[in-house]
Amino acid sequence: MTEPLSSTLTSPLWSLGVEILVSLLIVIGAAFTCLGSVALLRLRDFYSRLHGPTKATTLGVGSLLIASSIFFSAQGPGLSLHEILVALFLFITAPVGAHLMAKAALHLRVRGQSGLPPDALLDGQGVAQPDPQAAPRPVPRPASRIDADPLRDAD
Amino acid sequence: MHSSLPLMVSLPFVGALLAAWSGTQGRLWSAWVSGGVALASLGLLFGPALAVMQGETLLWQATWVPQIGLDLGFRLDGLSLLFALMILGIGLLVVLYARYYLADQDPMGRFYAYLMLFMGAMLGLVTSENLIQMAIFWELTSITSFLLVSYWRHRSEARQGARMALAITGAGGLALLGGLLLLGQIVGSYQLSDVLAAADSIKASPLYLPALLLILLGVFTKSAQFPFHFWLPHAMAAPTPVSAYLHSATMVKAGVFLLARLFPALSDTAAWTWIVAPVGLATLVLGAYTALFKHDLKGLLAYSTISHLGLITLLFGIGTPLAAVAAVFHIMNHATFKASLFMAAGIIDHEAGTRDMRRLSGLWHYMPYTGLLAMVAAAAMAGVPLLNGFLSKEMFFEKTVFMAELTDSAWLLPVFATLAGAFAVAYSLRFIHDVFFGGAPTELPRIPHEPTRWMKVPVEILVVICVAVGILPGLTFGPLLYLAAGATLQGPLPEFSLSVWHGFTPALGMSVLALLGGVAIYAVRRPLFRLHEQSFGRFDARALFIALESALLGLAAWLDQRLHRPSLQRMLAVILLAAVAVVVAGLWPSLRDGTLSGPLPLTPPDPVSIAAMLCLVVGAVGTVVLHRERWTALVMLSVVGLIVALAFVKLSAPDLALTQLSVEMVTIVLLLLALYFLPKHTPRESSLPRRLRDLTLAGAVGLTAAALVWAVLTRPYQSIAGWFLDNSVPGGGGTNVVNVILVDFRGFDTLGEITVLAIAAVGIYMLLQGLRLDAPRADAQGRPWSWDTHPLILATFARLLLPLALLVAVFILLRGHNLPGGGFIAGLVVAVALVMQYLANGITWTRPRISGQLHPLIGIGLLLSTATGLGSWYFDRPFLTSAHGHFHLPLIGDLELATAMLFDLGVLMVVVGITLVILIRLGELDALEYPPARGRRRVMAARAQLRRGGGH
Repeated sequence: MTEPLSSTLTSPLWSLGVEILVSLLIVIGAAFTCLGSVALLRLRDFYSRLHGPTKATTLGVGSLLIASSIFFSAQGPGLSLHEILVALFLFITAPVGAHLMAKAALHLRVRGQSGLPPDALLDGQGVAQPDPQAAPRPVPRPASRIDADPLRDAD
Repeated sequence: MHSSLPLMVSLPFVGALLAAWSGTQGRLWSAWVSGGVALASLGLLFGPALAVMQGETLLWQATWVPQIGLDLGFRLDGLSLLFALMILGIGLLVVLYARYYLADQDPMGRFYAYLMLFMGAMLGLVTSENLIQMAIFWELTSITSFLLVSYWRHRSEARQGARMALAITGAGGLALLGGLLLLGQIVGSYQLSDVLAAADSIKASPLYLPALLLILLGVFTKSAQFPFHFWLPHAMAAPTPVSAYLHSATMVKAGVFLLARLFPALSDTAAWTWIVAPVGLATLVLGAYTALFKHDLKGLLAYSTISHLGLITLLFGIGTPLAAVAAVFHIMNHATFKASLFMAAGIIDHEAGTRDMRRLSGLWHYMPYTGLLAMVAAAAMAGVPLLNGFLSKEMFFEKTVFMAELTDSAWLLPVFATLAGAFAVAYSLRFIHDVFFGGAPTELPRIPHEPTRWMKVPVEILVVICVAVGILPGLTFGPLLYLAAGATLQGPLPEFSLSVWHGFTPALGMSVLALLGGVAIYAVRRPLFRLHEQSFGRFDARALFIALESALLGLAAWLDQRLHRPSLQRMLAVILLAAVAVVVAGLWPSLRDGTLSGPLPLTPPDPVSIAAMLCLVVGAVGTVVLHRERWTALVMLSVVGLIVALAFVKLSAPDLALTQLSVEMVTIVLLLLALYFLPKHTPRESSLPRRLRDLTLAGAVGLTAAALVWAVLTRPYQSIAGWFLDNSVPGGGGTNVVNVILVDFRGFDTLGEITVLAIAAVGIYMLLQGLRLDAPRADAQGRPWSWDTHPLILATFARLLLPLALLVAVFILLRGHNLPGGGFIAGLVVAVALVMQYLANGITWTRPRISGQLHPLIGIGLLLSTATGLGSWYFDRPFLTSAHGHFHLPLIGDLELATAMLFDLGVLMVVVGITLVILIRLGELDALEYPPARGRRRVMAARAQLRRGGGH
């Protein structure tokens, strides 16, 4: 790290800019998170409500993470990259979570605004199902310990 | 300097391992190994023995636990030399004998391993210089003899006999330990040399009598003295080589050895004489009498042994130096003739197929050579002149006459002695006559014949000794007897003559009387048998013992019933009430004065904390209210866990927060897996009053805890946190104080904790082993489970997440010493990541991909942590001292590394292993993972198997 850059980073103007940027991102993130919560409260059916929190986690927390990254990069000696990992985890888990919830709701036949898909589709007919006989089964273990116990009395 | 002593004692223990191992290589290997080990120990004894012959007493000592007076000490003087020679010499013969005695289907390795263990324990016992160490070896002989007696563990009488022997000698061992501790307290040292030198102060001490009683309890149980004698006949269920070794020469002689060892320190008081001599006399007469009526060869020999041990005890009880000499002499003689007799009985049993004297007869025609050997040995037992038994028995008669002349009331002594001698002649006669003569055998299981050459060699050697000693006592046992008797007395030896002919003395008359009387008793044996069966024969000590034992167990069960009701709720209520009572009693003064609040001002509450607290309350109350809706209750419970984690964050405890979060996650997964097998709804089980009671109890506990916390938090107090903060970097090389405490300052605690965890995991593993539960096929409303058990998106992303999660775990582990993190958290992260694979992809997919079993991980982790701790010993530091340093690694950068990190890695492995073992076993319970029909059939088959297995 060269001397001029370091002095630039500590200059009042620079830090003011960073602060404004960070504040802006935090406000955006907070707004999305709040919006997500309101959506969870206000939207009409389960499937719509599912959208609210997922937006909040991706956009809302995403903005907050960018803010965090900028703030700590400006403060510390190096780039703060933890946030990328956090974002990666979030972006992987949030959609998967939403997907599983939607699947569960469909399985339980939770009705949405536009009704349900036909039963045949919900029951997985026409979908390539895993054949239960084809999958490798665990090898049966030897019979229970009790009958093979050498310590058992013969008499 | 005399380091060959500890080497000699430890060699058989090593030999036991070798024998057990070599037993797997081939049938006879373990016999060769054991013989070699016994020979090597004998060789090691040679050098020290020469020194002892010169009159030295050899000592070897090393400190062990000096705080409790326990040092490692070995001592070799005449007495220990005599016993060591007997143990190793007869042991060698028994090794040879057993090699031919044991049948093809008997596991040789196990037998010889036990035999070697016993030999080592016995050697350690007779050469102990430290009293506590002696007690340890004493117990070892009890345990190893238990193993040897129960060697044929498929026979119920062997197991019962072994258990009885262990119960009685074990109880005696406990008494002995108490006695030896008292003795050590009196003397102020546990060294035998100090104890022997302090005889006067011991006898003057008020603790003398309790110490003597306790020690004698140990002696009498071990040496099968009346009224504890009955275990010995039942121990005859052991293989005959074991009886020849343990029940003639060594184990039962341990008691009389102790009498001899402590003779100078304890004897020569009225208490000694009046306890030891009558017990010995009673045992002598009772044993001799009962022996005649035993139809089992080994039963006869067992009671004969009891009788001879009584004789030795009586001699020690008489307490004069000459009596002690006679006792030591009889120890030697009895060992030789009784061991050979046991071996002969074993040969008869081996070749004729029975030991019942009512079925045996006329074996002289089939095995004259064995018969001759047995006859000589039995004659020695009877006390026939020109054999060794005659000599010591005559010395014994002489002492009884001496006592009778000394005191008026002791005239009974020679009478009883002669009577016992007569019975000894009678049973010796029976042993020979019933077995070898009296017409051809009619109902033997097989046609008897002479045994193989080498099986007779041990008997021959012992019988030759009997004869040689009987004719030339001064030239054979003489030197050893002088040494051993000198060491027993720890003083000048009295004048005595070791010769066959002493002229016409009262003792000779008694001998003649005994011989004639014995023949007469044997002649009228048939009416005597009938008389015995109608009188004493009805009394069965074993039945009494069993009744006592079951009464004791009944008492224990009754007590347990009173104290321990099998109701979890009730136990919990008792514990909680007790806790409340203790705390309220402690807080009562301050509650009365209104001084519960301390001087510290309250922190003003902030809105976020209040909100969090409200969430906590809602979560806790919700869990209780909704506990019958299990899934909802679980969600409520997780709210509580989450708020606690946030509280840790707020109170600047990031380590705890991380731990709490990961524990929370694992717990929820665990509960989900468990709930899967339970019904969705819990029926209402408690009545209203009961719920009110529980509410009151819970409220009381909560209020008490709150009052306690309030009282503590409002008072200033000096914590030890400051010390840890100051010493964390210089002492432990890490800036994360929490982690440094866990892996360094309190590393021993952590090691203990992960050990407990590991034990718990093993317990859970065993509990779940072989268990199969039928999971419900549908939910509460009867809807079947989703067909898509492992959704593609979840499965794919779970696989994607695995490397990332592992990366995070490594990061948390590495930085743990300096920043929040550590092995425990990292372990949980790894475990969660792996469990995730199981959940998302199913066991069928995951198991082949995670190589091998996971439970070895627990052991490896424990070993790694322990090894890290032990490593500091190599550098002469206390256990678990950590070394640390600052390193610069390419690519990664500056690192503060400490050996504690290795320890932490062990913690990580244990945690991963445990979590996975529990979760995966629980997940595998699901019979759904198996094709349904087959799974059900398997369950049915296993149940049927269990029923069949339990039936026989």
